[in-house]
Amino acid sequence: MKLRQLGAVCAMGLGLTATAALAEYPERPINMVIPYGAGGATDISARTIAEPLGTVVGKPLVMSNITGAGGATGSVAVQNAKGDGYTMLFARVGSHTVNPAMKATLPYTLDDFRFVTVYEINPVACAVRPDSGIETIEDLIALTESEGSSYSSSGVGSMLHLAAVMVLDEFGVENPLDKAIHIPQGGGGEAATAVLNGTVTFICTNTSALANFVANGQLKPILVTTAEPVPGFDAPTAVDLGKPDLTQLVGWTGIAGPDDLPDDVAAKWGEWMTAAAGDPKFVEQMSAMGSVINVMSPEEANAFIQTQYETFRALVDKLGMRIEG
Amino acid sequence: MNKRTIQLHLGLGACAACLFMILYAIPYWISAPSNMRNIVLSPRFWPYAIAGLTGLVGLGILFTNRKSEADDAPVNDPIEDPGAGLIRLAGMAVLMAVTFWLLPRIGMVWASMLAFASLAFLVKTRHPKTALICAVLVPLLLYGFFAHVAGVAIPQGEYVRLP
Amino acid sequence: MSMIDSILAGLALVGNVEALVSLAIGIVIGVIGGAIPGISATMAVALTLPFTFPMQPINGILMLLGVYKGGIFGGSIPAILIKTPGTPASSATVLDGHPMAARGEAGRALGMALWASCTADVISNLALILFAGWLASFALSFGPPEFFALILFSLTIIAGVSGESLLRGALAALLGLLLATIGLDLVYGTNRFTFGDPNLMGGLNFIAVLIGLFAIPEVINMVWHPTGHMGKVQTLGSKWVTFADYKRCFRSIVRGSFIGVFLGAIPGIGAAPAAFLSYSEARRKSPNKANFGKGEIEGVAASEAGNNGVAGATLIPLLALGVPGDVITAIIIGAFMVHGLQPGPMMFVMNVDIIYGLFIGLIFSSGLLFIVGGLAIRGFKPVADIPKRILMPIVLVLCIYGVFAVNNNIFDVGVMFVMGWVGFFMSRYHIPAAPFLIAFILGPLLEDNFRKSMLMSGGSPDVLLRGPITWFFWALTLIAVVAIARGTLDKARDKG
Repeated sequence: MKLRQLGAVCAMGLGLTATAALAEYPERPINMVIPYGAGGATDISARTIAEPLGTVVGKPLVMSNITGAGGATGSVAVQNAKGDGYTMLFARVGSHTVNPAMKATLPYTLDDFRFVTVYEINPVACAVRPDSGIETIEDLIALTESEGSSYSSSGVGSMLHLAAVMVLDEFGVENPLDKAIHIPQGGGGEAATAVLNGTVTFICTNTSALANFVANGQLKPILVTTAEPVPGFDAPTAVDLGKPDLTQLVGWTGIAGPDDLPDDVAAKWGEWMTAAAGDPKFVEQMSAMGSVINVMSPEEANAFIQTQYETFRALVDKLGMRIEG
Repeated sequence: MNKRTIQLHLGLGACAACLFMILYAIPYWISAPSNMRNIVLSPRFWPYAIAGLTGLVGLGILFTNRKSEADDAPVNDPIEDPGAGLIRLAGMAVLMAVTFWLLPRIGMVWASMLAFASLAFLVKTRHPKTALICAVLVPLLLYGFFAHVAGVAIPQGEYVRLP
Repeated sequence: MSMIDSILAGLALVGNVEALVSLAIGIVIGVIGGAIPGISATMAVALTLPFTFPMQPINGILMLLGVYKGGIFGGSIPAILIKTPGTPASSATVLDGHPMAARGEAGRALGMALWASCTADVISNLALILFAGWLASFALSFGPPEFFALILFSLTIIAGVSGESLLRGALAALLGLLLATIGLDLVYGTNRFTFGDPNLMGGLNFIAVLIGLFAIPEVINMVWHPTGHMGKVQTLGSKWVTFADYKRCFRSIVRGSFIGVFLGAIPGIGAAPAAFLSYSEARRKSPNKANFGKGEIEGVAASEAGNNGVAGATLIPLLALGVPGDVITAIIIGAFMVHGLQPGPMMFVMNVDIIYGLFIGLIFSSGLLFIVGGLAIRGFKPVADIPKRILMPIVLVLCIYGVFAVNNNIFDVGVMFVMGWVGFFMSRYHIPAAPFLIAFILGPLLEDNFRKSMLMSGGSPDVLLRGPITWFFWALTLIAVVAIARGTLDKARDKG
């Protein structure tokens, strides 16, 4: 009896695999890898898009958080997966432009992935404690030049790490690595706490991570890196301050597959994303967190990521920040 | 093994581990940047401290062992046939290695069924029929729960996929 | 708005069936999730999160808090019955809970776990309601040097859980510290013992190590000695926890609850160290010291009080500062944000009704946990009667699924297997597992905070003594070390 049941189960399984070759993509659930932990910016963004996206795709999207090594563990899992479109990655600025620019020992490069879209852009803001006496970015630069300052990040090679250095460098601080001390923390939440409790002077991170503290008056924004002002952030933009190059410094979330992803699968994803990102509820939820929804075509996404990577790489090489070990 | 032997093994093992860490593992397996500002900030500082303490603890164990009087009582419960026991342990090691190798290839459900059945067989269960039924049902139930209730992408392997 | 008005507004929000039902459902999900190793409280909360989006904000958040509290208690069920902590926070419960189960007193151990959990829950909730503002500002004065001193003090717990030999405990702890260094370096991002493997770059997964160390050695041990359990009864037992037991352990439970509240209010420590610290304090103060680790009911009470004391208190930094204290509250903060609520000082002004609604709901939660927990213990009763040679393969398969599910990574299953052998040989050599585990949790925190302090001060050690909090913990550490040294010397003198 039991054996017969087992046989039936096997036969069912075989039947499914047999039809797999004929059926059109997707004929089974798609595994979506999130390379960062639950509750983080990437996770929230991924799970918010998953809802309208799941409806458009017609098959379940299985969300898998594979965390570790600043997004590298999850990215490698997708890099090594079969390029059949059933394992896709939520790529993020940290794992796919900052990490490749900074880490020589990273087990993957940008060429190992095929980007199907970038759908969300997060502005970056720099913030300090309201009682720190720092009112503007000039005050911060002056402090850095005279006494030195410090900043927190969610780890070496994270976007926060590079963002702080890039801002200081753009505003003319020479040797920002010596004058401002980098105090890495275990994660984005801890990085913000380090500013709150006075361990560090400032932080540069996504507006979504800061919005809560800014609204509560616990942190004071002094700069946003967009051309347009960000609602809720009473701070000058990079363009206002005459540093348009800083607009390159934004966070983003995109979707990528392994580099051997077939063209028809990539094309499908393009259609799905255009349809899903139009969902008003999704747009509303993401805008409330300060994100800008802008679905890029695969070509636009690749160009965008490549430009950002090259900007970051140039800065890293100029300052000798590359991690070789 | 009596108490003195295990203390001796542990003491010598700790000292050997300490030397291995300091002389080989830390310098070769931990990379430190060349432009370090301060020695206490080096990625190697902490492992060196741990290795040094391990050596000290090892010496401590050896020292207290010399002072304590002989005590020949065995520390672990004896078993009937240690030879067969060792073979079973080796079997378990192979079982784990094979399961780990099979997991991504044939999928977690089938690999778990094989692991379940072979483990029950290895320990000569008194209920072979129950064991076989459980070997089929438990992985299937867990699959159902993890994949469909908890939404975890359980590895399916390349051959037979479950819905 | 006066206090009374706030309370009334809060009551209006939660004084309905829906709020209580969502809380109860949350607790049920939590207890079940916590009882399945690998699902753990964290994952149960993450899985429930999307279902709370369409709900009323207060109901949704109460459901998540229910999952959290239920999960922390639920973890003690497999810890006692099959020596596999369902959630890292219940690893201290294994130390005495499992020996009790092996003696045929699983029912008594589970009952005590429930009573202690609920008591700690009440204390923790009261602490949240009464002292949230004060404790939060205190927690914010914890910078890296303060953390370093606190964790250094916490490491002295190792002496309390080392069992027969302090030196072997120290050896276990050093092994734990060493394995915790695997991964990317915090300050420079360079590789440490990773051999270029991306799976190792993230460090060893904590749950894989935990389950490998506790559950798998049991399986291997049975392979080594398949009939070793014969003659020992492993059933739930007719013995139930009595009021006399509870009264005897009451002091430890209260002490453990306060330890939990204190460590929970400080972001970044979590429930597992709190449970161990509470356990070791209970052991130090108990007249039955020698019986700890061999099935002492007070040990179970203290561990469960310690970890459940954390559950309410982690909401203190969350509500008062908007800072999540651990992974679980980091997920819960997401629920606040989805509903357009911004935890932090302003929330006490703008959404005071929700704050008080939460407080009132939390008071109910302890009672609900008691009812649901009692039912769950009965529900899991049959596990104790499964023949051991069927149970162990089930445990093995369960661990494979559970450990995979934590991080969706097959590599972690391999880590669990290898740690199983490490744990087996450690038990053959009578090296205790608990110090290993404590060091594995606290080691990275200790190192990171030491190096962060050094970064802050530019390498000068003065910063480690920068204020009264650091002095306090350094003094405590000194006292503990002196006490341990004297205890060890006395023991040596008694023998010789």
